[in-house]
Formats: sequence, C-alpha cells, structure tokens
Amino acid sequence: MDNAGGIRTEKLNIGYSSDLIRDICLQVQPGSIVTLIGPNGCGKTTLLKTLTGELSGRGGSVCLDGKDKASLTASEIAKRMSVVMTYKIRPELMTCREVVQIGRYPYTGALGILSDEDHRIVQESMEWTDTWEIASCLFDSISDGQKQRVLLSRAICQQPRILILDEPTSFLDIRHKITMIQKIKDFCKEKDVAVLMSLHELEIARRISDVVVALGERKVLSVGKPEAVFTEGFIRKLYHIEGMDTSLLGVMPWEDVERNEPVDRVCGLTVETTTEASWMTPEATENQMSRMKDASGAESQAVKTELEIQETKGSQDRSGERKPHVVMIQGTMSNAGKSMIAAGLCRIFSDDGFRVAPFKSQNMALNSYVTADGLEMGRAQVMQAECARIAPDADMNPILLKPTADASSQVIIGGKSIGNMKAAEYYRRKHEFTSDITAAFKRLSNKADIIVVEGAGSPVEMNLKQDDIVNMGLAEMLDAPVLLVGDIDRGGVFAQLLGTLDLLTGEERSRVKGLIVNKFRGDASLFDEGIKILEQRGRVKVAGLVPFLNVRLEDEDSLSERFVPSQAEGFDIAVIRLSHISNFTDFNTFDQLEGVSVRYVSSPDQLGNPDLIILPGTKNTIGDLKKLRESGLADALIREAQQGKCIMGICGGFQMLGRKIEDPFGSEEGGSMEGLGLLPVDTVLGEEKKQTQFAGRIKGTTGILEGLAGVDVSGYEIHMGNTTPYEEVTEFTSGGSGYCKGNVYGTYVHGFFDNAAVAKAVVEKLANANGKDVLTTGMQDYAAYKESQYDLLAAELRKSLDMAYIYEIMGIIKNDGR
Amino acid sequence: MQKRRYVLFFILITVLIAFLIWINIALGSTSVPAAQILSILRGDKADVMQANIIFNIRLPRAVSAFLLGGALALSGYLLQTFFGNPIVGPFVLGISSGAKLTVALAMILFLSKGRAMGLYAMVLSAFVGASVTMAFVLLLSVRVRSMSTLVVCGIMVGYICSAITDFIVTFADDSNIVNLHNWSMGSLSGINWDEIRIITVLVAACLILMISIVKPMNAYRLGEAYARSVGVNIIFLRVMLIFLASLLAACVTAFAGPISFVGIAVPHVVRSTLRSDTAHVMIPACFLGGAAVTLFCDLVARCVFAPTEVSISSVTAVFLVPVVIVMMIRRNNRKN
Repeated sequence: MDNAGGIRTEKLNIGYSSDLIRDICLQVQPGSIVTLIGPNGCGKTTLLKTLTGELSGRGGSVCLDGKDKASLTASEIAKRMSVVMTYKIRPELMTCREVVQIGRYPYTGALGILSDEDHRIVQESMEWTDTWEIASCLFDSISDGQKQRVLLSRAICQQPRILILDEPTSFLDIRHKITMIQKIKDFCKEKDVAVLMSLHELEIARRISDVVVALGERKVLSVGKPEAVFTEGFIRKLYHIEGMDTSLLGVMPWEDVERNEPVDRVCGLTVETTTEASWMTPEATENQMSRMKDASGAESQAVKTELEIQETKGSQDRSGERKPHVVMIQGTMSNAGKSMIAAGLCRIFSDDGFRVAPFKSQNMALNSYVTADGLEMGRAQVMQAECARIAPDADMNPILLKPTADASSQVIIGGKSIGNMKAAEYYRRKHEFTSDITAAFKRLSNKADIIVVEGAGSPVEMNLKQDDIVNMGLAEMLDAPVLLVGDIDRGGVFAQLLGTLDLLTGEERSRVKGLIVNKFRGDASLFDEGIKILEQRGRVKVAGLVPFLNVRLEDEDSLSERFVPSQAEGFDIAVIRLSHISNFTDFNTFDQLEGVSVRYVSSPDQLGNPDLIILPGTKNTIGDLKKLRESGLADALIREAQQGKCIMGICGGFQMLGRKIEDPFGSEEGGSMEGLGLLPVDTVLGEEKKQTQFAGRIKGTTGILEGLAGVDVSGYEIHMGNTTPYEEVTEFTSGGSGYCKGNVYGTYVHGFFDNAAVAKAVVEKLANANGKDVLTTGMQDYAAYKESQYDLLAAELRKSLDMAYIYEIMGIIKNDGR
Repeated sequence: MQKRRYVLFFILITVLIAFLIWINIALGSTSVPAAQILSILRGDKADVMQANIIFNIRLPRAVSAFLLGGALALSGYLLQTFFGNPIVGPFVLGISSGAKLTVALAMILFLSKGRAMGLYAMVLSAFVGASVTMAFVLLLSVRVRSMSTLVVCGIMVGYICSAITDFIVTFADDSNIVNLHNWSMGSLSGINWDEIRIITVLVAACLILMISIVKPMNAYRLGEAYARSVGVNIIFLRVMLIFLASLLAACVTAFAGPISFVGIAVPHVVRSTLRSDTAHVMIPACFLGGAAVTLFCDLVARCVFAPTEVSISSVTAVFLVPVVIVMMIRRNNRKN
C-alpha cells in the first residue's frame, strides 16, 4: 500500500469569510474510514467542502493520491475523488440511471456520450447498491433511502480513490441507515478507497470508523480510535450536553450495553480494523489529553473554584415572578442520606454566595421545631436552614406529620396543627394541601436564588404514587432536576438506584439528572467499576460517591442510628427511649465530648449505672408513661432517683416526673394518669398548644446547676400542658418552665443544654460527684459546634460531589476562572 | 421506449413546422394556393404581386418566426437550467423589456442625429440592455432566495423598463417613431432578408456554442456541488448560460420586440412531452418547439382579426399563460 495514497492535508485552514479551524493536518489512508464528529457548526461540512473544492482553502494544501490538488485539473480531481453531499437535490424528470451516469462525466468525451463500457459501469454500480431495478424511475419519485443509495452509486461509478460523504445517513430510517453504512464500509474495504465522512449518529460513527476526529471550539479537539474518543465526559463536553438528559436518545455511544450488537455482526461481516489513518494538529494531542483529564471529573473538584456567577439573582420568568434555581434530592429509601446531602448542598451554595433555602413539602417526624413566629416545622429543614445561613421558616416545610398513636398523625399545615388524622384519611385529603405547598414554595422563592428541595422516603412507593406531592410529583410541579441518593452502607446500592430508576415512568426518569452513592466506606477507587455500571445501566451520570461521613447532624434520618444500643463510656448519659420520643436533639450537644456516651435505653436492664438520666419529650405523654410503667422503667427510675441519681425531664419527660397528668379535653388519650411523683408538680393538658421561643436566665440554683445563676438559656417550648407546683419547689427558669427538687430536674425548654456553659457545668458537677474525669475544655456552644459540623459536611461533599455538574443541571452558568 | 418517444416527437414537430410555414405563407389578405406557392418558390414566373408578397413579406416573416421563436425558447431553457427552476424565462425576468428599453433609447439617439440605426447597432444595444437587466436580476438572485420573489422582481423590472420605453415613445414626436410603437408591442412584421441573415448568423452561433455546454448542463442538473465534483467548470458554465441566454433574448427583442412567455412555457411543454430534461435532446426540441409555437401565434396575430394585426405578445400570452399557470399549480401540488 502506497503511503502517499488517500487524502492528506497540510496546515489547511478552513472557513467561509474567516478562518474557522487553522492548521489542520490529516491523512486518510486507502481502505480506512475516518469520521468527523462534532456539534452543528463545528466545521465538519466546511472541512469537507474545502476538500471537495466547493470552498477554497484559506492556506495550506491538500494532496489527493499523492498529488497536490492545486496542480490537478478538475477532471483529474474528479477521477480521484467523489462525493455524496447532504443537499437535497431535486432534478426534474431525471431518472436514477441518468443521475448515476453523471458519475461518468470525467471519463466521457466533449458531448458526454456514454460508451458501452460506461453503461456497464453504471449498471454495476447500481446493482451494487441494489438500485438497478429502479434505474428507470424518476429520481424525484423514490424514497430518501433509495435516493441516498442512488447518489452513492453515482459516487461509486466515478471510480474514485477517495470518497467523501457529508452525513450520509441523515433522513434515513434504520434499515436504510444500516444498508447505507454497510455499503460504504464494503466499498471502502473492497476497493481500498479512503473514506472521509461526517456523521451525527455517534453510535454509527463508533461502529464504522477506524479513526474518529472530533471538531469543536474551532479546533480539532480529539483524534483517535472510536473507543478512545467516545468517552461520556468528552462527548458531553463536545456537544455541550453536560448535565443534559440523554435517555430520550436511547443508548449513547459511551454506553457499551449488550443489547447493542455491533453493526459488523448484524451484517455478518468481519472487519479487520486498520488504523493507518492518522490525524494531528499541533495542539490536538496535548489538548486532547487535558480535555480527557477534565472530563474524567472528580479530581478537579478538590480545588475550591472561584465561581463567577453570571446569574446570581435567579431568573425572572415571563410573568415577572422570580424563579429560583431548584435542585431536588430524592432517596431510594428513608435514611439514604437525603437530608444530609441537602444540608451540605445548602452550605456549599451559601458558601458560593447564593441565597439558599431548603424545602421539603412533607415531613414525617416527631422531631419538630418552633419558629420565631411560633410555627412548627421539621428539624431537618431547620438544620438545612442553618446550613443555608437563614432563619428557619415554616414555608420550608409546609406539611409536617407527627405520628401520635399508631396509624395516626398530627397534621401540621403551614406550621399550625389542623388536628389528628388516620393515615387513610390523610391520603384521601392529601391533594387539598397541594395549594399550601405551592404557596409556601412561591413565598420561599422570593427569598432565595437557589432552593434545595428534599424528597421523602422513596419516589417509587408504587401503591402511594398517586397524587404524589413529595417526590416526583413535586419535582414536576417545581420543574426540578433530581439527584437520587442511594445508601451503599446498607447494601444493594445497585438495586436501590437502578431499581428506582426502572420503576419511574419515562418522564420521571428523565428528571433524574444524577445519582449519588452515599455512605461509602473505604477506598473510592474501588468503586470505579460500580460507577461505570451505574452510568451505563442507569443512563444517568453519577454525580458523586460520598464517603461515610462522621458528621453529627440533627438529622431525623440519623434517628434510628442513635437508637442502636451502644456501649457506656466514661461518662454515661442514659436517655429513656420513649415510643413517641420527640425533640431528641436536646442531647446532641453532648456528642462533641470525648468519653461521654449518650445511650437510649428502653428497658430496665439496659439502664446500667448512668451518671445522668434524661427523660425526653414525647408526643404522647400519657401513652408513653403507660408503656414506661409496663416496661418496668418507671420503677427503675424511681429507684434510681431515690438513690440520688440525677434525673432530668424535658417537656413530656418533665410532665411525667410530676405527681399526675390530667387530660380533660382528650388532647391525648383523655382521663388522668399518675406520674412518677419525683417532682411536686401537676400537669393539666390543655386544648391549646403552647409553642414559643424561650430566652431567659437560670435563677438561684442548687445541685448540678449550682453556680450557673445568671447564665443565659435559650431554646423553645412546645407542649400542650400547663404544669404547676403544689408544694415548695425550686423554680430554676422563669415562667414555670423549669423546676427542680433535689436531684430531679424538669424543664419545658428544649435546647436547655445548648449553651456550652450549662452542659459543661452539668457534666463537670456530675463527673466530680461520681469521681470521674471528663475533658470538657473543647466544648462549644451547641450552635458553634453545629456550624463546625456543617462546614465539615460541606467540605466533604465538595470533595466527593461533581459540583460543576450539579450547578449545570440547575441551569446556573458559571465561569470558574480557570 | 424513451428513444421512440424522442423520434416520434421530432418527426411530428418537423411535420407541424412544415405545415405551419405553409399556412403562414398561404394565408393573409390574399390567399395563395399551395400549388402556386410551390411554383413561386421554384422561381417560376407567376403573379408578380403574389411573388412579392411571398418573398418579401410572408416568407421572411415565417422564417424569422421560426428562428426567433426557437431562439426565445432556447433562451428560456438556458435560464431555467441556470436557476434550476422552470418558472423563469427572458420575459418574466425582465430581460426582454430591458433590451427593448435600450433599443428604444438607441433609436431615438440615432434619429436625433438624423441617422437611421444600423442593424448591428440595434442588436448590440439590445444585447447591452439584456445584459444589464440580466446582471441586475443576478444581483437580486443572490439576495432573494425565493424563486417566486425573484420572478416578481423580474416582472417589476420589466414593467419599469416598458414604462420608460412608453414615455420615450410617447414624447418623441418624430414620425419615424411610429414604427417604434409597433415594434415595442412585439411584432414580426416588416422583417427583411438582411435582418434574417443577421438573425441566422447569431442563432447559429449560439447553437454551436451551446454544443460546448451540453455535457456540463446535464451534470449541472444535480446541483453545483455535484457538478463541480465531477469536474464541471462551474464559472465557465454559468457565464456561458447567461451569455447565450442574453444574446438570444437580445436578438429576438432587437428584431421583433418583446415576445412574452414563449421562453418560459415552451421548454416546459417540450419537457413534459418528452418526459426528459436531458440537454442533448432538449436543445433541439426546444428550438423546434419554440419555432412551432411562434409560427402559430404569429399566424393568429396576423389573421384572426384581419385586417387589424394584434401584437404577437398578446397572442402568446393568451395561449401560453394558462400553460404557465397549470405548470405552477402542478409544481405546487407536487411540493405539498
């Protein structure tokens, strides 16, 4: 094979009125197929037109079969090179045979009369493309697929050494695509012709090409074997579809899925890959390298990019309403880590200078929070609001369900309780609340550039999917791109993610723009294969592999983990695990202390010998008190109290510590119930719920609170009852919110320990009394501690998530200054 | 099959033309019987007046109708090839009217200097006018992508040129200008043998030149890109097409004034009769077709309202506009 054969360009510049691409050096060897790919307008056709002579080159040279094109006559060029262009030609009253005969033009005399030999070649060419039977048909009257084959016959009967095709498969149906491509390939290999073509169908380009050349950004971006060029990152970049959903197009060329049989095999042909074709531009190789690295993603994110946000203020939609950028986090199941990811994103966006707000349409949690306006909302959104550095707002959580008794929940809409409902009733009435959700979201939209929406549970609870207002239904309502979080720690992450994707409808699935594998332990590189599988099978980009983070958050998803029985450490705090425990965040501040354990205890034998027993709040004081008695914990508590153990009741726990609890209005279960009798107080459950923020000071004190007089305490109160002492008792916070007698303390103030001074004093006092040594010097106010945890979370997520991609799916254009 | 169609067509059209020429010679204010025509043509001494009528009036007129009609149809065919569209012709693109304007201007210029205008000057001025209008239309065609818009523009240009010619004719009060009036309406009357000699030379030259572009014209039907890819010299081809089309149209206009619609309708009729658009066949077929149509129309113009003679353009319009309209409707239907 002559090395000089085929087509070769040297430092060719192409373009219409100005240079589009400069210094193209390429060579297509006989018998090889080189395919140009790239977005519209990248110069594919311009390059082909320059080679065919339709456009004149703007410098550089083209060699055809070893001869400089400039030195060849038109007829000599035509004998070497033939073309199939994309133009739709409409010759009138021209038969297919006549069209093909034009291919003999360079070989006929002055009048263009065809010899017998010419006629034979025309017939052969047409037979070869199976168009001989339509030779007498008018070209106008045949189908697009036939037309394209006739034009190929025309090019073939020109007996070229070089064949140039511009998008030969456009407008063709699948069958014609296959035959067309097969014919081109056969022609190339059998006649040892150099084939250069442009293609939009990447899948075909991948199968047929010996070498693929990617044009874009006024450069030759990449040259190489198809498998090297068709990487997802590069192709997405090339076509500017980073973050776009490609599932509508079916299998993408970077997805090597079994159901895609290679074209070769389909057509029963074996092909030896020849790769004599080579392309270079001076910068191409280097460029390609850097691009590949870029495309491969994750590494570049360690650097905190300086974002130059072009569009920080959100966009206005046509009606003049603000439309914030939205991203929605959904999980494959409860506890997959949605809240945490959402919180981390809130902090990252906030760090990047956006005004952020969290949103979750419906929260099912015992753990509620009272806003400054006295409205109730889920703790998770409070935590996320703190991450976002804005004040919690009930609009962030328009529906809150607080389970009371089995199968029944207190329904809180817009921060206010509208009463208890059985699950069935709630599902029946759910659609009524849609307007509340949209209204809340709209109000929130006015305050934020970005809203991070959290789903609830799994989006594919098939029996409950109707009228969904929390997952995909909400995503559709808000037109939000979705990131789906799976939990690898609990196993089955492929089933979780891919199963969820498969259960989604096509439209829902197209909303999922990224997968996140959460709670990964160990070396991330071990999961590379896993990511590939997820991306191939899920046809969605994996937006991050998040390690198992040792970050302490007030996250209801971490609820269950807290309840796992754990070992007592040096200083032991036992929290009584009530069935309807609420607001357990009261003790989270102790997490920051080394050597201090916070254990949840649900039976007397688990109690052990703690230094402090806490009886926490509950949604159902009377019910839980009953259970406390049944389990024997009530007796155990009384015993411990009598032995001088320090017991602290918070809210419901406080009420339980008293002499009796009455429920005259049936707020809970009705009737009256005897308390533990450890504090001389009585509680009457009222009709009205008291929910206020509390800010006060500790008054004259004894015991563990000694010396804390005058220390600020802030938190919130949320309870139905009113508690009054019936005999002498020390009031340690104002307004009847805290009483103590001896070693038993009761308070209505949630967040009582959040002030580091209080928690520290309590721990130190008790440790001293019990002869234990606890290091409390590093203790921060709970608020400061939380901040540090949020920053830690954000830093970790930045490392493990493809933030550039996430910004992109949210439609935020950013220049990262590099 | 196709070849038989070609042969049949050429036999029929030749017979038709022979018949039309005979009718054209025979009919008129004085009818000449066939036998007498033959003897006159043979040069036998016969009625001197009838011989005069035939030799100096009817025969030149028939021959010019034959040549100019063929030239017009060819001009239209070349333009249609150039634009890749069958709805163009020298008249609808305004080329004929442009030629008319310059001829009128030249005539008046000569008359004002007291000199009669030579035949060559007439052809030359017509060619200048045709070329200038052609250039203008070409400029437009670069700007205007839509063919129908281009045609509308061409018709407008034609009207402007005609209007200016009318002004000139109206306000030039030389008695000789009366001829100009007749001429500017389009008429084959008064053509003499000297003129026919020039016409013959010009048309023959054009036909010979056309042979050189028969081959590329065929390739050009696939569009410029494919034509170039097989080695067609596009610029040469285009220049030739425009040059020949303008020259033919100018030739017709110089001697007979603007004759409408022959250039657009005849190639179409011939094409659909032959069911082919191959240049090899189309060039002679168009020529003969144009000749036949013009002979027929001139006969009608001369005889139907005798002794009054109507302009040949009116007759061609009446017969050919319906053809053009039907063609446009058919094309439209085919597109949708």
